[in-house]
Amino acid sequence: MAASASDIRSALSLPDPSSVAGPSQPKKPAPTTRKPEGISRELYSLIGPSQPSVAAQVAKPRLKQKPRFATGISSATKWELKSFQNSTRKDGLQLKHWVKASDSADAEYPFAKYNIQNPVYTYSQDEYTRFLDTSNRSATPKDGKGEFEKPWTKEWTDYLFKLYHEYDGRWHVIWDRAEFPPEAGFDLEDLKHRYYSVCRKLIRNRPWPGDEASRNALINSLQFDIEREQMRKRYLVSLESRTADQLAEEEALYLEVRRLEQTERRFKREREDLLRTLAGMDSGLPYLVEDNGVPLGIFSEPRNLNKKRKTTVGQELDSPLTPSGAGSSVSAIKRPQNTKSAAYDAQHCIIRTELPSSTSATKAAHQPAYIRSSKIPYLKNNSMQSKVLQSFAEMGLSPSRLVMPTKENVAQLEGLLEAVTAMLETKKLLDKADHDIQVAKKQLAMRNGQLEDGEGDGEPGVKTEEAMDVDQAQDETDGNEGRGHSVVSVRSVRSRKKVRYLSLPDLVTL
Amino acid sequence: MSSSDRVRVRGLSIYRPIIYGNTAVALTQKERDALTSPDHTHRWTVAVRSAASPQNSDQVGGADDLSYFIKRVTFKLHDTYPSPTRNIDKPPFEVTETGWGEFEIIIRITFIQEAAEKTMTLLHHLKLHPWTVSGEPEIPPLEVALKAGPVHSWQYDEIVFNDPFQNFLNLLTAHPPTPLPKAKRKPIPFHLANPGSFEESKGGTPEFHASMISEEAERLDDARKKIIAETERLRNELIQKEAELEKYKKQLADGA
Repeated sequence: MAASASDIRSALSLPDPSSVAGPSQPKKPAPTTRKPEGISRELYSLIGPSQPSVAAQVAKPRLKQKPRFATGISSATKWELKSFQNSTRKDGLQLKHWVKASDSADAEYPFAKYNIQNPVYTYSQDEYTRFLDTSNRSATPKDGKGEFEKPWTKEWTDYLFKLYHEYDGRWHVIWDRAEFPPEAGFDLEDLKHRYYSVCRKLIRNRPWPGDEASRNALINSLQFDIEREQMRKRYLVSLESRTADQLAEEEALYLEVRRLEQTERRFKREREDLLRTLAGMDSGLPYLVEDNGVPLGIFSEPRNLNKKRKTTVGQELDSPLTPSGAGSSVSAIKRPQNTKSAAYDAQHCIIRTELPSSTSATKAAHQPAYIRSSKIPYLKNNSMQSKVLQSFAEMGLSPSRLVMPTKENVAQLEGLLEAVTAMLETKKLLDKADHDIQVAKKQLAMRNGQLEDGEGDGEPGVKTEEAMDVDQAQDETDGNEGRGHSVVSVRSVRSRKKVRYLSLPDLVTL
Repeated sequence: MSSSDRVRVRGLSIYRPIIYGNTAVALTQKERDALTSPDHTHRWTVAVRSAASPQNSDQVGGADDLSYFIKRVTFKLHDTYPSPTRNIDKPPFEVTETGWGEFEIIIRITFIQEAAEKTMTLLHHLKLHPWTVSGEPEIPPLEVALKAGPVHSWQYDEIVFNDPFQNFLNLLTAHPPTPLPKAKRKPIPFHLANPGSFEESKGGTPEFHASMISEEAERLDDARKKIIAETERLRNELIQKEAELEKYKKQLADGA
């Protein structure tokens, strides 16, 4: 039977404890915390309010759930074999797949978004002759990379681009299927080099909407360093073909380097301790940053350089490290100054430009003061001038005047003028090509017309018979291919033409 | 002090935004009769001022006094005016006159000696009659002109000084220009390079504000993007046509 304190007191007739200040008095009962959840009170008082154990206990035991089988009340999920459209397919192929009936019908095919195409680059004749023609390049260009500039003709370049488009930019496939003449001697790297350099040149020379940064980003994505690639491949090959001896030697060397590194760290630490004991605590040595396993023990810049605390002893040792430390602190000071001076410049309408070289400053001619709108490039008085004016008028702008000629706006106007001139030139070439096509069509028509006339005079009967014989022979060979008859009829038209050409010399011999 | 200050500060250019142009009001018949030459129909003022307009003023521009770097402005008027070369040696740099015709005014700005720069020449076409949507000149009758109110023709521009002498630079930085107000508060001055602003230019004294700059930049940028898209389209068409032409040429060659 549990006896409480009050029972004992009454049994022994002890006075009320509240009147006596005893040592037990101040001991108030420990603040009763909230009844813990999930576990019993006795258990809680045993464990105490330690978080991890309470949490572990409180977490409900997650036993394997009894699987919910479909009964009559909740029916099984219905799946159906539904046909779907792949939005990126062009041939309209209808496939089916199993979809939950509850899913929304005609949702976007989820894998359609992965069908991305490589950007296609095409160029016109004019562009080729202007930027891409390397056949007449000098043998020794100034960057000394002459051996990589193998001569490329336009046909080969066109062929390369066709291959790229056909094989979706997979270089090894392209390299395998390409049939360049053997004297060109093109390697995979040569193909890549030509392709990427053409793309870069096109991007650089065409007018570019958007800012320079995005254009440079795109050009960077098309960088291909042929020298590096070839070197890399040579290295890989040599790496693969190491003998057992070489491998063993490499391992040994590597171990040695790591050992040296570790001893170096220890050595440095010991040295620092020694110096500290010699020169006192304030030796002002820079904190040595532990190098993170970089071979050859290259130190990263000491961050916490304290320039004020330097003694003479410390200074000699610090000297190789302080220049780098000083540089970092000075640059940290410069940064807040830059933003301040930018605001200052803006307030005073000051524009600073980088000087190309300070030595020529004394001789440099002073550019006189000018009014900003005088720097707007004026239209050259040529045939395009009226068209340029017209294009601008259509857009509601003026090519020679600006409402607010600030530095940026003047630059924008220049860019716009360039773009308009480029567009008009392209249009001119397009019109010329159109015209040439018309001329060529007429010539073809005339030639066919002429031959028809020529045939009419001769012996039509024999000719047509001959024609029909050859026709039949052609038809037989064509029929063997098993194509649709539209193609055969085209072939026979051509063969009829060919027959005509053949019969002319026959006429002569006759 | 002076010798070290007469060194040019390289790699630095500093500009000052100004406006130049004119306002014109039509004269009532009574005002005309009071003139020495009653055939004059308008009173106009041509001026060179700072670009920002003063607060609570009906004037276009002129919040700053430009005499800290401008010594003198000379306005050369039409020869039919007596002493057509008007020299203005102290601010405000403007000339007010009466007249009946529009003509080209030659404005010559002479800078202070410390600048050591040549005189700058600007041209301004004096505008008396109200702007029209089509841009074609149209002279309205007197009542219409009086009702329409003052006519404004202003051009914003920036005078750029390159590699200024140190003491001149100090003078300039001692007078930072009042910046243009950020947003539009009053009608904007009409300009032929932006015929779309016709509606916005009505309704009182105009004021230049800073977003006019960014709006113009946007207009130019949009135009450039459009042109480049069009060029792409034309170029692709050209490549197709070239391929077609090749085909025909081959056919011709085969036939021959």
